Amino acid sequence: MPHDVQPAPNHPASPGSRPAARPAGAPLTPFPVPNRDSVTTIRSDGSRPFLYPADTHGRFTTARRVVALALLVFYLALPWIKINGYPAVLLDLADRRFHLFGATFAAQDLWLLFFVLTGLGFSLIFVTALFGRIWCGWACPQTVFLEHVYRPIERLIEGDAVRRRALAAAPMSREKFVRRTLKHAVYILVSAIFCHLFLAYFVSVPEVWDMVSHAPSQHWGFFVFMAAYTGVTYFVFAWFREQVCIVLCPYGRIQSTLTDDHSLTIGYDTRRGEPRGKAGTEGAGDCVACNRCVHVCPTGIDIRQGLQLECIGCTACIDACDAVMDRLKRPRGLIRYDSQAAFSGGRTQWIRPRVVVYFVLLLAGAAVASWAFSTVKPASFGVTRMTGAPYIVDTGVVRNQFLVRLVNKRNAPVRFNLELARTPAELRRTGFEAVVEVGPLGEVVQPLVLQLPRSSYQGPFRFEVRIQDASRGFELKREVEFMGPEARLLREEEEENRGRRK
Amino acid sequence: MSAKKTTLEFNDQIVRQFVLATILWGVVGMLVGVIVATQLNFWQLNFGISWLSFGRLRPLHTNAVIFAFVGNMMFAGVYYSTQRLVKARLASDFLSQLHFWGWQAIIVSAAITLPLGLTRGKEYAELIWPINIAVALIWVVFAVNFFWTLARRREPSLYVAIWFYIATIVTVAMLYIVNHLSIPTSLLHSYPVFGGVQDALVQWWYGHNAVAFFLTTPILGIMYYFIPKAAERPVYSYRLSVVHFWSLVFVYIWAGPHHLLNTALPDWLQTLGMTFSLMLWAPSWGGMLNGLLTLRGAWHKLRTDPVLKFMAAAVTFYGMATFEGPLLSIKSVNALGHYTDWIIGHVHGGALGWNGFMAAGMIYWLLPRLWNKPLYSASLANLHFWIGTVGILLYMAAMWTSGITQGVMLSATTDNGTVLAYPNFLDTLNTIRPLMLMRVVGGALYLTGFILLAYNMWQTLRGAQPVNGTVEVFDDEAAPGESRMGVLGTFLNPPVLFSVLGCGFACAWMFGGSVISMAGLVGTLVCGILAYAHWESRGQAWAGWYDRLLVNSAPFTILTFIAVAAGGLIQIIPLAIAHRASNVEDRRQVPYTPLELAGRDIYVREGCYVCHSQMIRTLVPDVLRYGEYSRLGESIYDHPYQWGSRRTGPDLARVGGKYPNVWHLRHMEDPRSISVGSNMPPYPWLLKNDTQVAALPSKLSVQRTLGVPYPNWTPEQITARVNEQAKAISADLKAAGAYVAPEKEIVALIAYLQRLGKSESIAAPAAMAKAGQ
Amino acid sequence: MMPNQQITPDEDPIRPHAYDGITEYDKRLPNWWLYTLYITIVFWVGYWSYYEWFRVGPTSAQAVSGEMAKIEAARLSTAKLDDAGLWKMSRNADFVAAGKVVFESTCAPCHLASMRGKAESAAAIGPDLTDTTWIHGGKPTEVYNLIDKGVLAKGMPTWGPVLGAKKISEVTAYIMSKHKEGEPVVIAPATP
Repeated sequence: MPHDVQPAPNHPASPGSRPAARPAGAPLTPFPVPNRDSVTTIRSDGSRPFLYPADTHGRFTTARRVVALALLVFYLALPWIKINGYPAVLLDLADRRFHLFGATFAAQDLWLLFFVLTGLGFSLIFVTALFGRIWCGWACPQTVFLEHVYRPIERLIEGDAVRRRALAAAPMSREKFVRRTLKHAVYILVSAIFCHLFLAYFVSVPEVWDMVSHAPSQHWGFFVFMAAYTGVTYFVFAWFREQVCIVLCPYGRIQSTLTDDHSLTIGYDTRRGEPRGKAGTEGAGDCVACNRCVHVCPTGIDIRQGLQLECIGCTACIDACDAVMDRLKRPRGLIRYDSQAAFSGGRTQWIRPRVVVYFVLLLAGAAVASWAFSTVKPASFGVTRMTGAPYIVDTGVVRNQFLVRLVNKRNAPVRFNLELARTPAELRRTGFEAVVEVGPLGEVVQPLVLQLPRSSYQGPFRFEVRIQDASRGFELKREVEFMGPEARLLREEEEENRGRRK
Repeated sequence: MSAKKTTLEFNDQIVRQFVLATILWGVVGMLVGVIVATQLNFWQLNFGISWLSFGRLRPLHTNAVIFAFVGNMMFAGVYYSTQRLVKARLASDFLSQLHFWGWQAIIVSAAITLPLGLTRGKEYAELIWPINIAVALIWVVFAVNFFWTLARRREPSLYVAIWFYIATIVTVAMLYIVNHLSIPTSLLHSYPVFGGVQDALVQWWYGHNAVAFFLTTPILGIMYYFIPKAAERPVYSYRLSVVHFWSLVFVYIWAGPHHLLNTALPDWLQTLGMTFSLMLWAPSWGGMLNGLLTLRGAWHKLRTDPVLKFMAAAVTFYGMATFEGPLLSIKSVNALGHYTDWIIGHVHGGALGWNGFMAAGMIYWLLPRLWNKPLYSASLANLHFWIGTVGILLYMAAMWTSGITQGVMLSATTDNGTVLAYPNFLDTLNTIRPLMLMRVVGGALYLTGFILLAYNMWQTLRGAQPVNGTVEVFDDEAAPGESRMGVLGTFLNPPVLFSVLGCGFACAWMFGGSVISMAGLVGTLVCGILAYAHWESRGQAWAGWYDRLLVNSAPFTILTFIAVAAGGLIQIIPLAIAHRASNVEDRRQVPYTPLELAGRDIYVREGCYVCHSQMIRTLVPDVLRYGEYSRLGESIYDHPYQWGSRRTGPDLARVGGKYPNVWHLRHMEDPRSISVGSNMPPYPWLLKNDTQVAALPSKLSVQRTLGVPYPNWTPEQITARVNEQAKAISADLKAAGAYVAPEKEIVALIAYLQRLGKSESIAAPAAMAKAGQ
Repeated sequence: MMPNQQITPDEDPIRPHAYDGITEYDKRLPNWWLYTLYITIVFWVGYWSYYEWFRVGPTSAQAVSGEMAKIEAARLSTAKLDDAGLWKMSRNADFVAAGKVVFESTCAPCHLASMRGKAESAAAIGPDLTDTTWIHGGKPTEVYNLIDKGVLAKGMPTWGPVLGAKKISEVTAYIMSKHKEGEPVVIAPATP
C-alpha cells in the first residue's frame, strides 16, 4: 500500500501518542479530542480507541430509560403472550403460517409484509422530518440494548467512566482479570438469552426450550446457528458498539438526509454559548468549556461542532449540559432539542408543506394497508387446470379438468361449498359434490371435472367458480374458461365420423 | 523562464449537451420502465401490438436507463471533471460532437430496433450487430478524445477520478467487444460466436461488469470530483482511494459467475464467483466510506443543500447495494433469491439510489455553473429528493417482499420434503401480483421526481446564457512527457511484481495438479509475506513509485487493463478449452431441426427469456418442480444461450412433451384460457405471421460455422424438412380441434418448445432411455 | 452553526497536491474494515480448498443427487414400492381406510366412489377399477406408477406432485384391496 510522507504507517502512532499532545493534568488515558476532520473512533493508525462515556442523570436519561425498558419488556414478552391460542408473534417459517397478535397469515398473504415494511419506513421518514434522528436515540434496538443493558452491566462491574478508562489502561492484574472475565461472561450469557428469545419469534417457546434442554448433537444445525448468532451479538455489543451506527448502518445516514431546517435535532446554541470561558470571565458566553458534553457522548463527538454524521440523538449531552447549567444557575438548554431555524434565531415551523404531504401520504398508506388487510379472507382458493391436455374430447363430451386448492387460514376447521355460475345447463360436474371440510390451518386439493355434451358445445366460454364457507358466509370467486376445440372443427369431425359409420 | 499566463476555456458546450440528453433519456427510460412494470399487472397494456409487448419493451427499458441515461450522465460528468482535473480543454471539439451525436443516434436506433424484435437475445447486449459496431466505434472516439486530452494535460499527476475513468474506458471496450462477437446471418440478424455455458459465462462476465464498469466505476469517479466540490471538503483518504481502486477493479471482474450460481456452470467457476463476490464487499465499501467521510465534515449542510442530500443518499444506497450483492452471492441465499424480484429490487436499489441520485445531485450542481444562473427552485429540488426517497422505499419494499415471498413459496415442500407445497407456479405469481402493482407506484413516484428535475432545468435554462468555465494557465506548463517510466519502470517494481507473482501462484494453486498446486500455495504465502515485509521496510519506495505512476497515464492504463483482464482470461480461457461437445460428460444436445431453429429465433425475438428461464438448477425445489437438473451439454449448441435471469413464468428447460401441441397453441393465443390468473400477454400475431423460411439457409450455414453439426443441406432440402415437420404439427393440432396453417410462426414456435429438454445421452446406455423423455 | 475553531494538535496533514481545488487527506480507515477483506480472502482459500482442491465437499451435482436420493428414499420408505409390499398394504385395514379417504376426494370424480367408473354409469369418465381388465397393467406397481405419472392424452393427470408417494401408495392399496393377488389379469386397450 503506497502512502504519503507522514504519518508513516511503518512507524505506527503508539496508542498513547495522540493523547500525549493533551495538556498536563489530563486523565490517565485521556479522552480523544473530537474534531470535524477525522472520526474520533478511528485513530490515525487505523486502530479503534474504545470510548468510555461518562454517566448522565437528568430528565432525558430517565425518560429514555423508561422507554427502553418498556420496549425491552414488550419485545421480549411477545413470544410468551398467547392470543387466540398462538403467541402474539410467531413467524412459523417451516409451516409458512404467521401469527401476529391473534391474526394468522398464510404464505399467500406474505405480500402484506410490504405494508409493514413501508409503514415502518414511512413512519421513519415522517418522524425524522419532525424530530430528526429520534429513532436512533430512543428506539433502535442497537441503542436500547447497548445503553440500557450492556453498558449498565459494564458500569456495574467495572465502575464509572474514569475507573473503566483506568482499568483499560492498567496492566493485567488479578482484579482486572476477574472484572474483565466476569463482564464478558455476563455479556455472553445475556447475548445467548436475547438470541434464544429472538429465536422464539420463529420457533415457539416450548420448542426452543425443548431444543435447549437436549444435547447439541441432536440438532447441530440449530446449535451452530445459535452459537454464531450469539457470537455476533456479543461482538457487536461488547466491542463493535458505535461502529455500527457510524460505519455500517445506512438508516442513520438516510435519516440525516431527511432532516431540514425545521426538523428537531440536538444542537448547541452557538449564539448563547460563544465565546466560551470559565464562569465569571468577562464577555464569555454561557459555555464554560467543561467538556461534559464530550465526555458523555457515546459516539465520541463534540456536539458544539454542529450536527455530525455520528450523532444518534441520544440526548446524553443535553442532560450533561443541563446539570452544569443548573449548578451555575443559568437557564437550561444551552444544548437542547431544537431546529436549525430556532438555533439561528428564527422560529421552528412545525406545519410545513412537506410535513403535511407526508401526513396525507401516511394516511393514504394506512388506508390502503387497512383495505389490503381487510381483503385477507380467512381462506383462499385457487383453480388450476390439470397438467396435460387443456381439454379432452371424448366420445360424447368435451371435458375440462381442474384442481381446486382450498387453504384454511383459521385455527378451526372450515366447511366449504363449491358452486359454479354462468354455466350452460347441460354442463355436468363431478368432484366437490359434498361439502369439503378443511382442518385448522390446512390445505386441501381436489379435482373438479366438467363435461359438456358435444351437442350443446358451442365453443369455449367463461364461467365462475365460487367457494362459500358454510357457516360464516364469506364467498370467494374466480373466473375460469371452459376450453374445447373450435366448434367448426368439432362439427366437421362428427360429419366425418358419421360418414365413416355409414 | 518566462511564464506567460493565458486563460484556457473549457469545452462546456459538450457537457451541456450531455446533461440535456441525460434528462431527456432518463425520463424516457424510466417512463418505459413504469409502462413495462404496469404491463406485468395489466397485460392488456400492449394493446395487442407486437412492438409494445413486454418481452420487447423490457430490453428497451434496461438499455435506455443503462446506456442512454447513465451513459449520457457519465459522459457529461467525465468531460466536465476531466478538463478541470487535468487543466486542459478537451482535445478535439469535432470528436466531442461526433461522440455526442453518434451516441444519440445509437440510442435512437436502439429505440427503433428493440420494439421491432430485432435483438441478439442476450440481456443488456440485445442491440443488433450493426449497432454494436457503431457503439464500439463511438466508444473508441470517446477513448481517443479522453486520452488525447490526458496527453495534453497541464496537471502532471492523475487524480483518483481519472483513474476510475481510465478503468471504465478500457474495461467497457474489452467487455463490450468480446460479448458482442457474432457472425451475421443478414443485415439485421446474427448469432453470437459463443454458445451454451460458454455464452452464459461470457454474458455474465459482461453483464456483471457492465454494472461494475458502466454503472459503478465512472460514477465513483464522478463522486470523487463532485462530492469534494459540493461539500467543499478535502477527500477523506488518498490511501483508501489507492487501495479500493485497485482491489475493486481487480476483484470485480472475477465475480461474474455469481449470476449463474447453482446452474450448469462448472462448479469451480461458481466457487470463484461466490468467493470473489464476498471479497468485493470491503473494496466497495471503501468507496462508500471515502465518499461518506468526505461528506462528514459538511454534514450540517445536508439539511439545506439538495445536491449534498442526493449525494449522501446515493452513497448510502451504494453501500446498501454492495452489501446486498455479496449477500446474494452466497450460494444458499442465491438459491432463494435468484430468479425472483429480490434481484430486481437489488438492481433498482443501485440504479435508483446510486445512479439516479448521483445523476440528480450532479445535475443540480452543474446547472447553475453551466448556464451561469442560480437554480430556478431549490425547494423543487428538495421535493424531488423527498419524492424520490419515498419512491425508492416503496419500490424496494415491494420487490424485497415479493422476492422473499415467491422464493419461499417456490421452495416450500410438504410430506417430509417429498412434495412441493405449491406445485402450481401461478399460486406463487398471484401472491406477488399486488406487490408488482406497488412497485409501479414506487417507480411512478421516482419518475415524477425526475420530471420535476426536468421542469426545474427548463425554468433555469429559460433566458440563461451558457457559460464556459475557464482556468488560468502558464504557457510553459506543457504536457508532461510519458517516457519517464518506461517498460522497466512500469513492471519491474515491487508492487507490480508482488501482485503479478502472487496472482500467478494463486492461480497455480487453484488450477495446478497436486505438486504445482502445493507449490502455488506456498508461493502465494511466501509472496504475501515478502510483500508485507518489503512494504513495511520500503513503503516509501512503493509510494514513490505510485507517485511516478500517477504522472504517466500510459503505464497506468496498461496496468489497469492487466488488472481487469486477468479475471476474465482465467475464467473464460479454460472454459473455452473445456467447452467442446466432445468433452460433455453425460448429455449432449441434439441440434435443432430447421423449423425448431426458426421457432427458437421467434422465441428470442419475442424476448421470452425475459420472463422464462431454461435452466433447472442443482437445487431440490427446482428438480421437484421442473425435472432433472440441466446438464452443461444440453445447451451446448445454443447461440445465444437462453438460461434467463428472472422467472416471472416457470422454467422451460424441460417443457418439451409436457403438454400437447394444442395446449401451446391455445396458451399463446390466450394464456388465461389455459392458466387461470396468468399475467402473460397473448401473442396473436404468431398465428397470423408466416415463418421466415427463406432466412434459414444462411442461418444454418452460420450455425455450421460456429460448430453446430448440421449437414450441408441445400435450401430445398431445408424447406422440405421445414414443411414436413410443420405439416405434422398442423395435422396434430387439427386432430385436437384447432386449425393453424403449417406456415404460421406459431407452428415453428411449438416445434421449438416441444423440443426443449431433449438430448442424447452419451455416458451409459442405461441413461439413454431417460434422456428421450 | 460555526464549527469549533479549536484545531486538534495531531491534525492529519493534507496531501500537498490540489486538483481543481480538491485536496486529499491521507487518513486510514478502521483496521477492522481491512480485516473484513482479509477474512474474505481467507474464506476464499478455505472454501476453494474444501470444494475444489481436496474435494471434500460434494459437487453441486452430487449434492442435489444426494438430496434427491434421500427424497426418493423417503418416498420409498413411506411406500414399499414392490408388488409384494403393496399387496401387503392392501390387506391392512389402516392403509385401505386412508386410501379410501383419498380416493373419494381425488379419484371419485372420474372413477366414481364405487370405483366402477364406466361400468356403473356411461357418463363416468374413468374405466372400471374393480374388474380384472386393465388398460395399463394390473400389477400394484403398475397401478402406482400410473397414478404417479398419469396418462396425459386420456386426461389422467400426473398425481405424483399433488398427492405425494404416501397418499398414492394408500390409494393403490385401496384399489388393490378390491383385487386378489394372483388373479388373472387381462390387458386390453381402452375402448374409445
